[in-house]
Amino acid sequence: MAIGTLAVQRKVSLSEPLWVRILLISIALIFLVLFLFFPLLIIFTQAFDKGWAVYLASISDPDALAAIRLTILVAAITVPLNAIFGVAAAWSITKFRFKGKNILITLIDLPFAVSPVIAGLVFVLLFGGQGLFGEWLFQNDMKIIFAVPGIILATMFITFPFVARELIPIMQSQGSSEEEASVLLGASGWKTFVHVTLPNIKWGLLYGIILCNARAIGEFGAVSVVSGHIRGLTNTLPLHIEILYNEYQFTASFAVASLMSVAAIVTLILKNFFEWKMNNGIGESV
Amino acid sequence: MIQLTDISKNFGRYQALKHINLDIPSGELVALLGPSGSGKTSLLRIIAGLEAADEGVIHFEEQATNDYGQQVGFVFQHYALFKHMTVFENVAYGLKVKKRKERLPKQKIREKVQELLQLVRLEEFADRYPSQLSGGQRQRVALARTLAVEPKILLLDEPFGALDAKVRKELRRWLRRLHDEVSVTTIFVTHDQEEALDVADRIVVLNEGVVVQEGTPDEVYHHPNSPFVYNFLGDVNLFKGRLERGKLHQGLCEWEISGDLERQSEAAVGFVRPHDLLITRDLTVKDSVPAWITYIQAFGKSVKIELKRQDSDEYLEAELSREQFNELQLQKKELVYIKPNQLHVFTPDDYSI
Repeated sequence: MAIGTLAVQRKVSLSEPLWVRILLISIALIFLVLFLFFPLLIIFTQAFDKGWAVYLASISDPDALAAIRLTILVAAITVPLNAIFGVAAAWSITKFRFKGKNILITLIDLPFAVSPVIAGLVFVLLFGGQGLFGEWLFQNDMKIIFAVPGIILATMFITFPFVARELIPIMQSQGSSEEEASVLLGASGWKTFVHVTLPNIKWGLLYGIILCNARAIGEFGAVSVVSGHIRGLTNTLPLHIEILYNEYQFTASFAVASLMSVAAIVTLILKNFFEWKMNNGIGESV
Repeated sequence: MIQLTDISKNFGRYQALKHINLDIPSGELVALLGPSGSGKTSLLRIIAGLEAADEGVIHFEEQATNDYGQQVGFVFQHYALFKHMTVFENVAYGLKVKKRKERLPKQKIREKVQELLQLVRLEEFADRYPSQLSGGQRQRVALARTLAVEPKILLLDEPFGALDAKVRKELRRWLRRLHDEVSVTTIFVTHDQEEALDVADRIVVLNEGVVVQEGTPDEVYHHPNSPFVYNFLGDVNLFKGRLERGKLHQGLCEWEISGDLERQSEAAVGFVRPHDLLITRDLTVKDSVPAWITYIQAFGKSVKIELKRQDSDEYLEAELSREQFNELQLQKKELVYIKPNQLHVFTPDDYSI
């Protein structure tokens, strides 16, 4: 009897009254609609405001196409490099014992802590005309700032942590006994990596890559500082949108923005899928 | 024959192993027994080549080696099965990753894996994933996977640690039979003295990075060389007293001791196993001590009795066979007389080991 009463009491105290639940859910929903769904809708309505023809013209404009090409090029270079770096960093942090490990972990987080504008400025100070290596670069006829290499460098810096950050906790929780088992069974380091480590971190790695890719495509601050906004040459998509907007070409700027929104939605779907796969994988092992 | 010479290992300032010297004869089943932190797992990992010793050498089969190759097989405490591979793929792994020249043809690999799965009685589970197996089955997959590469030495780290009591007993008997069948030198690490005594040919007792004693189960159990080993290998009762002329004196009592009769000490401690404690109602038994029975645990084959000495309030533990217990008809809260039958005496000198 006493136990029964206790259970009932606990149940009552754990569940909120109906009006509280309705209120909380409504607040959450209103915020979602106002700040996320509504703006997204605006982007697409504005983009198609003047019809398909204008929309297509906006995104097939030579400058827009150049921006798309450059953005894809930057992502195609930075994402694989950062994926390799991320795996190497996560591997060394989780599988080896060495001094200064915590400093390395902190350094990996640096791009998260520093404002992108400052990150861009650092590159200007290093490679710009008045910069540390400026003169040497000029003499050797190399251009980094206000050119594609600078954009790639800045994007690399900003997207540095994504893959490593994603992999470190996964690899830490997995430990290295599977790798040790593989090596003791006679497998080489490379075979161990391909057959044992990679399958275990696959979904986490893809998750990190997709986040890294989204940021590489969307980065504005750091790229804006180093790019010089040269149309058709050093404009990425976000910079191109800003220029169009500043020139009151609203429809065109929203049309290009809608492209990036589609990329964002695809990213979200992929991210959720990888997350789901990852959690399933972890669930399987327990 | 594996010969360990002067092996030392430090983790930072912590000295995990201190100058270990050990010979392990071929074909034997050896237990490295010790409490946690005794260095037993570090020693096993060094033999496996997973850690490097800071000092010392290991010789395998009379030849010095740093090239472990595949002569060492290692079974991990938590099995470390490849979770994205089936049981079959796990067992086949060591055969598949061999260099092309040494690799068996596919059909041969298949046959060998089937054979191994038969050996560990898991033929029907070939297509399962590790997550779909019980702990005991995973353990057997880990063993089969290790045996696939035909190691000369088999190392097992707490092989039954993560299993429940019943499966553990079954599996350790099975390991014993398996060892006799494939006759490979086997070293396993355990903190469970019962397991070591039950399965091993030889027991190496480790404590704080030092080999305290090594010998057959019979030797270490019946002739422990130190209070630590005596304590670690089973329950004990302590009788503190003065050692003189081959007898331990405590108050008015004097008890015969086994071992060296010449020793003298003012602060000796007699160790008695619970089953070596005599319980009687007879007041006239010479050199007996009165004690109250405080608790009787009467299920199972033997009966455990907890007693409290009347004179010193110290607690003692006795173990009787069911027949003895039925004969005596002991009751809780009853006053009885106890006497150690077998005393193993250690003096303060022994504690320095």
